[in-house]
Amino acid sequence: MTDLGASPVPEAIAGSPTPGETGDGPTGLRPWRKRRLFPSSPFYAVVRWGGAGLFAAVAIGLVVTIVSQSSQAFTHSGISFLWSGTWNPDAGEFAAGTLVVGTVLTTLVAMAIVVPVGLGISVSVSELTPRWLAGPLSTSIEFLAAVPSIVVGLWALLVLSPVFATDVEPALEGLPVLGRIFHGPAYGPSVLLASVVLAIMTLPTVVALSRTALSGVPMADREAAMALGATHWQVVRRTVLPGARSGIAAAITLAIGRALGESIAVALVIGNRPAIPHSLLAPGATLGSAIVNQFAEASPGLGTSAVIALAAVLLLLTVLVNVVGQLLVRTRGGRRVLSARGAAT
Amino acid sequence: MKRRSIAPAGLVLAAALVAASGSSWLSSAAGAASAHSNAAVVKKAAASASTTLNGAGANSIAPFFEKVFYNYEHLHSKVTVNYSPAGSSVGVKDIQQNTVDFGDSEIPMSSSAQAAASGGAVLQVPVELGGVALSYNVPGAPKGLHLDGPTLAAIFEGTITKWNDPRIAKVSGVSHLPNLAIVPVHRADSSGPGWDLDQYLISTSTGWVKKIGTSKASTSWPLPDIGEGEQLNTGVATFIKSTAGSIGYVSFGYASKAKFANAALKNKAGAFVSPSSYTIGLAGARASNLSASHFSIIDEPGASTYPLANFSWTLLYKKQANAAKGAALGALFYYVVTTGQKQASPLGYSPIPANVLKLAENTLVKLRSSTGKQLFKL
Amino acid sequence: MSTIPNVQVGAAGTGPEIGLVEELQRRRALVRDSARRSIRRRRITGRAMQVICLIAVPIGVAPLVALVLATVSKGAGALSAGFLLHAPTPPGVPGGGISTAIVGSGEIVAIAIALAVPVGLFVALFLFERPGTIAAAIRFSADVLSGVPSIIIGIFTYAVFVERFHHFSNLAAGFALGVLMLPIMVRANEEAMRTVSVDLWEAGVSLGARRSRVARSVVLRGALPGVVSGNLLAVARGVGETAPLLFTVASPTFAMTLLIFNDATEPFPDAQRTAWGTALVLLVLVLILSVVARMVAWILNRKAR
Repeated sequence: MTDLGASPVPEAIAGSPTPGETGDGPTGLRPWRKRRLFPSSPFYAVVRWGGAGLFAAVAIGLVVTIVSQSSQAFTHSGISFLWSGTWNPDAGEFAAGTLVVGTVLTTLVAMAIVVPVGLGISVSVSELTPRWLAGPLSTSIEFLAAVPSIVVGLWALLVLSPVFATDVEPALEGLPVLGRIFHGPAYGPSVLLASVVLAIMTLPTVVALSRTALSGVPMADREAAMALGATHWQVVRRTVLPGARSGIAAAITLAIGRALGESIAVALVIGNRPAIPHSLLAPGATLGSAIVNQFAEASPGLGTSAVIALAAVLLLLTVLVNVVGQLLVRTRGGRRVLSARGAAT
Repeated sequence: MKRRSIAPAGLVLAAALVAASGSSWLSSAAGAASAHSNAAVVKKAAASASTTLNGAGANSIAPFFEKVFYNYEHLHSKVTVNYSPAGSSVGVKDIQQNTVDFGDSEIPMSSSAQAAASGGAVLQVPVELGGVALSYNVPGAPKGLHLDGPTLAAIFEGTITKWNDPRIAKVSGVSHLPNLAIVPVHRADSSGPGWDLDQYLISTSTGWVKKIGTSKASTSWPLPDIGEGEQLNTGVATFIKSTAGSIGYVSFGYASKAKFANAALKNKAGAFVSPSSYTIGLAGARASNLSASHFSIIDEPGASTYPLANFSWTLLYKKQANAAKGAALGALFYYVVTTGQKQASPLGYSPIPANVLKLAENTLVKLRSSTGKQLFKL
Repeated sequence: MSTIPNVQVGAAGTGPEIGLVEELQRRRALVRDSARRSIRRRRITGRAMQVICLIAVPIGVAPLVALVLATVSKGAGALSAGFLLHAPTPPGVPGGGISTAIVGSGEIVAIAIALAVPVGLFVALFLFERPGTIAAAIRFSADVLSGVPSIIIGIFTYAVFVERFHHFSNLAAGFALGVLMLPIMVRANEEAMRTVSVDLWEAGVSLGARRSRVARSVVLRGALPGVVSGNLLAVARGVGETAPLLFTVASPTFAMTLLIFNDATEPFPDAQRTAWGTALVLLVLVLILSVVARMVAWILNRKAR
């Protein structure tokens, strides 16, 4: 996880749009005009184009490699690989359906935890806490973003899982009404634990980016609301939050993208049973956890191709979500979030 | 003054970084052929004239290999051995694809698997004798609970669901077992211990044969939907350790290290035998006409023989592309099957019997260089 | 609010004037009361919502605190000079450590830096110097690429490097990490370059300097704080990654993150202690990198002013 807080560039400077941002180049002129005015040396041009070419080669190569290596599995199982069947390599059954369900389920439950808590924290930090507290608080949340996913997974496996098995999961089973989704034997590793781990890991994303979105709402709007007699909370609810809406949506979308792809920490705590879980306390499997566990073992040829096909499905899902998130970021409200993503996931 | 643009400075910076990280590190990194990406023992290469041997394979033999390779490296400072215990099937696959110098599998390669090996003929050397324990975590239960094939089959089929089931009381003679749900644990990955237990249940329980629909044992657990599936011996051991009511099959090397309570299994003679280096050794001593195609020592006769034992087979290409490595492999595994066997008992394995040592030696001398020169002589 | 009665205002000096004042006072009282009620209601809801939001803070911070405390307390027990300096030993042989993992991780990250930093700079320069559709496409794909799960990057590297050349190596692992860090570095570099005032750039080229010279002396120099701290943050991210190493590294004892991954699943206390110790080392390392990144940016910014 990386630091997602303020852009490394001081905000006083980053806030003002430069002509570059509008895509016109350093001089503000149209590119062709500028090129004529200030040509660059061939060496410099090679360096720049070489870099861009390398980057494009890597990006395109990634997609092409994954797709081509997975084609064997797709031709074997057909397009229904995407949504049907069970994952049982020893029986020759390769299909991603149950894994997709597991992936979506863990992500949804994680978001159900992260969105309220993350929004609550970001509202608190940006609006409700005094200045001297807000700084250290947000820094400590950002520190959580820097914690490597394997360390979170280690802690979840060795510390959280036993606590879940002995205390949390039986308590959840006893809940009225909701208890229905929490039935079944509880050993610790479960869909619920994996979702909690995902929530812990994506919380900093949501908090940092929402906070930027919230603080990007202009002071004038807030002052106008106060002048009309709004209480502090009404200012937040009716002016600030709506103003930050697209930034918050972008933050949540990016967090979803992150949660979909997390594989190591999930593989440690989800219990690795590739079947549709009948309860949140049951073990399950996601695309990422299946890839982690199956890749080494997969028999060369169809087996490996099937695991790479899982990676292709995961790639498709994450790219879709990320594209939506990026498009949201590029809307007017989301633009303030863009600079905060300088080093963000 | 004419100055260059930024790029050379960047390249110089990059070159400086590369140089700073140490050329020796890089050459050993790039030059090292490999083992797989799971647990292993490693020593840094002492000097550039050293040999690095990389292997991958059975998880069950890992404690033994780690100790023996460590001792060997202390005796031969120019040799580094890396072993990745990712599982027998990974070892077989890596040897087939020629990405490792040696593999190890609890179940030898079948002829079709050997045919798929890209480097030609594969030599299979028996290097160690180990056993599979049925470990359980039942508070209040005595150690060495008596169990037999049909009862185990019922447990792993899911027909016996509680520890205080009368069938368990009948075979074990213990009637005060708690009213605790049984959680059978199996290997989610393909495994030698899984094959062993499968073979044992096939030999002793007709109900098992009927349930799984075949009488041929498989390294993939035949009933993956019943109970919990965990990766590698370590995964099963971790689960058993943390879950009351669980029972699963674990390589005895791991089970003894984890100090599990292990079941005493009914052997062919009708006696209930607990796993130990001695009882496993008795099973190995029964191996007659041992070969890669006739390798099973499951359910051997004998009053004190433990029924779940197996040899571990190291996989080497007969024709070695790198003669120095081939010679090093021969020397290493000769050490393993001779001096190295001293490490077997303390770790929960058993020294290989004399006739198996003969087989190992006869196989090692078959190592050849690409020009046909014999690489290892006794 | 009750209906306002129709009050007749009489001529000055007659009786109804007294009634007008009372009426106005009554109306004022009505407005005041309803305003008071509204304020009270709004304040109460506001306070309640604020409390709910503030409750979220300890809920969110608690896991972090618990995690760090657990890592420090359990990892400190494993830490010693020997732990950091010695290589791993088989179980039962005392004196083992994680030196090979520390060195290996360092090597892999160094390779990744050597690959990603220059390319990141070159791509950012491309984006800076030649805006247009291609640049927009590269920018967009950098953003999307930075969201690709690291395990997919690991598989890509396996297919390209390991399978083709038939061996695992730190070089392949470094390449995987480099691919992971590259999009982050590109975006951070470009953001930093954007902050340099256009006037300075124009002044440079109008003095006759070549664009590469201007890029070097004006843009990069001005962007240096952002570039350095952004790249350091990308490195901090790369140091903590496990998935790209899973299918590329020759042995898990060559990388700290893989070592944790393996030892975490072992049921033996000494393996778990090693895992906690390694996790503590990793955590401290990542923390130092993040703090240094911030400090460098702060120092260089101050110098620039």
